[in-house]
Amino acid sequence: MIIILPVLIPLLTAICGLLVQKSSIGRRWFFGFSAWVQFGLAIYLVREAWVSGTQGLYLGGWEAPIGITLVLDMLSALMVGMATLMTLACTIYGFYEQKVEDKHPLRLPLIQLLLVGMNLSILTGDLFNLFVAFEVMLLASYALITLEADDWDVRQAFPYVAINIFGSAFFLIGCGFTYGLFGSLNFADIALQSEQMLADGEGSPYQVELLAMLMVFVFAIKAGAFPLYYWLPNSYPILPPALAGLFSGMLTKVGVYVLIRWLGTVMPHDLDFIYNVLVWVGIASMFFAVLGAVSRNFIRGILSFHIPSQIGFMLLAIGFFTPYAFAAGIFFLLHNIMAKGSLFLCGGVVTFLCGSDDLKKTGNLWVASPLLGVVFFVQAMSLAGLPPFSGFWGKYMIIREGIALGEYVLVGFALAASVLTLFSMLKIWLASFWTENPDVKPRVDDKRWRKMTYAVGGIAIVSLFMGLGAQLFVELSMMASEHVLDRVGYAESILTGREFR
Amino acid sequence: MILLTAILVGVLFAQSTYLILQRSFVRILFGIILLANAANLAVLAMSGDPSGKGVPIADGRTELSADPLPQALILTAIVIGFGVAAYFIALLYRTFLDWKTTDAGELFAKSTTDDSNSES
Repeated sequence: MIIILPVLIPLLTAICGLLVQKSSIGRRWFFGFSAWVQFGLAIYLVREAWVSGTQGLYLGGWEAPIGITLVLDMLSALMVGMATLMTLACTIYGFYEQKVEDKHPLRLPLIQLLLVGMNLSILTGDLFNLFVAFEVMLLASYALITLEADDWDVRQAFPYVAINIFGSAFFLIGCGFTYGLFGSLNFADIALQSEQMLADGEGSPYQVELLAMLMVFVFAIKAGAFPLYYWLPNSYPILPPALAGLFSGMLTKVGVYVLIRWLGTVMPHDLDFIYNVLVWVGIASMFFAVLGAVSRNFIRGILSFHIPSQIGFMLLAIGFFTPYAFAAGIFFLLHNIMAKGSLFLCGGVVTFLCGSDDLKKTGNLWVASPLLGVVFFVQAMSLAGLPPFSGFWGKYMIIREGIALGEYVLVGFALAASVLTLFSMLKIWLASFWTENPDVKPRVDDKRWRKMTYAVGGIAIVSLFMGLGAQLFVELSMMASEHVLDRVGYAESILTGREFR
Repeated sequence: MILLTAILVGVLFAQSTYLILQRSFVRILFGIILLANAANLAVLAMSGDPSGKGVPIADGRTELSADPLPQALILTAIVIGFGVAAYFIALLYRTFLDWKTTDAGELFAKSTTDDSNSES
């Protein structure tokens, strides 16, 4: 019963918010309170997954594989935790970004609807339900991306919408393909049947491989992997900072999560060709995107190009396809959600203080606000992967696994991309915080920036804790990777009352 | 019948690919709507021979009913596609009102490298 709550609570909150559209302090309190409740619930879910492992919820009492099933395991619990954490921080940050009276009344309900879509796509155990959840999430994101855009920006939304509808069409074809091949859309059932099919020698393994490849293509579009990331660095900068934090933190990572679930739990574990493709796609996206980041000279542009670059590391970890590499990828995924989201929010505070995020028009910020400087520095170094921050442990685990597998070329590329990441982060740090720029007078009189910084600081503290107390999070990631890769265990806990080998 | 549907899906895909590769946003819109329809038909074609799959609730009386699941999937997908297409048309209209053109070349002719700094 409790598994449906991360979907139900934001949905009810969004409906209440749509009924009362007038912006007021009370309405803000309501949304803030709801976000806190959801975060608390997500932490409880992580504990639940820790104690009792994989468990399912059959909606409407229809047992799997007939009805829709929601599944809670360690990975989905952690992802729900991250989604609610980012929503909480971005909601609170958004309160101070704008005054009550000039805030768009639809923004808060739409953020909650976005969270409905994200939580449902994380928790679902059914392929078609996943498609619907993706559509809920994407429709909310289409609305949010154009909600506060001016006429200069609105043209950038068109490619974003077009590429996502294109991806959705292929997702639908993949659903039909799956149903035709296995006669079922339930993840656990597909996992069992694909195993059975290969064992019996019925059906060609190429069909399974083709299906897996089609879905990988779809999820790679959603995640923004090379060569399909060009829509991302152009469309994310048009978002207001509070939303950009949420989008860059969570939205693309849901694509990575689904990719982990698809290849780890649903598909057979011998698709070596796909793993090789993923590794090289990962290398290409981390490398080409980071070069784009180096070439940009405004903060949101640099950070947007870093999204596909970091996605590349996760794809590399998935492509290695060992339990340890999966754990590394999951750890890196969790780290990156927080680091990326909070850097966008920091960029928003810089824009608020200096009036622009063009690197030439910023400066003096270390003197004006050391607190913001510390938060930005911690997260930027974490993103670049310097010890003792969380990004270091994630990259260390991925690269250690790469060396253990003897993939020295890949490791070399990954390290080079990391150096370029560090370079572009230092570019922001030097231009905005370290330089004395006589033309810039940071607007420190408006006290709202302080509260915005506290909201970012909250994420930074969790992120710092993840770096300094890495043991706990590594254990959680190990457990998540065990849950994901244990296909028989997954099927056993979902498909009750069936015979297993 | 499945073969005919498959050929139709192929033709629709070819047309929508051609339309999506055009410069005009209106044609891209048409191409995408066509692609959604092609995908719906593809689900029908790929779900295989419907006979003998039956309804999960009608115990023992499955011979008269076709497999309802692909149809349910397509119905859901049509509704979702309808909503997305409505949003997409509204977005295109807004872009047209702002820019007085729907040609991708003219729309992005101005420098895109530093345009995100233009606001505030």
